[in-house]
Amino acid sequence: MLIMWIITGIVGAAAVMIGLFRFAAAWRPQPDRGDLPTTPLERLGWTGLWVTGAVGAGMVVLAATNGAARLYENDASRRIFTILLLVGIAVWAAVWRVVSRPQGGAVIDERDRDILARSFSVESVVVILSLVLWTVVLTEVYGDEGAVPIGYLQLIFWSTFILGAFGRSLGIVLGYRRGPMVDA
Amino acid sequence: MPKALISNQIRRLRFESGEMTQQELADQVGCTRQTIVVLEKGRYVPSLSLAFQIARVFDKSVDQVFEYQGP
Repeated sequence: MLIMWIITGIVGAAAVMIGLFRFAAAWRPQPDRGDLPTTPLERLGWTGLWVTGAVGAGMVVLAATNGAARLYENDASRRIFTILLLVGIAVWAAVWRVVSRPQGGAVIDERDRDILARSFSVESVVVILSLVLWTVVLTEVYGDEGAVPIGYLQLIFWSTFILGAFGRSLGIVLGYRRGPMVDA
Repeated sequence: MPKALISNQIRRLRFESGEMTQQELADQVGCTRQTIVVLEKGRYVPSLSLAFQIARVFDKSVDQVFEYQGP
């Protein structure tokens, strides 16, 4: 058991350090971005950050007020969370419809597709870290009881879903902020 | 792996083509204006397909538009 935590800790720390390094590198001062127009995908990335941030914050508030294990067992909190999620998806879809209206040129070109493909690495790190965190916390809290309340399964699924979308959006935004992309 | 350095004459060719705007060029080759901007600044290397499309817009060959300066 101990060796598992040591490995988990080392892998987790390495992933966090790599993530922080890449994050810091992406946010370093960029060369004259002043007149660079935003692309539809970039605007969608920013929208995704705001939407997933809002839905995630709502989920945290609901979990804090109702108890994490009972969040999905309680009818009222489940209804609120479902509405929150649907509103988030609706806002995201509405923004995509607006920013993807043909205005000449292309909505998504080869550079956008490259950035979109690279954003998957950020999403993967975020999702893996969240699953590692869930595993460590639930094992520590419920290790002695030998069973985890069923409500946590819903919570794990939805938090992974939201964090995955957050990670993908973050990857898109960081992709556009990266420095010279001359190796595409 | 060393990064390739490829310069281009897109900006000059645009102005020689009746001061074509970045958006007009983007429309003709099917990419976003941001891609044209970063191309002109030398911060992005296009695919072969896009390079050929851009060269065709200016009625030039690819090597008249793009020049390899890498290691």
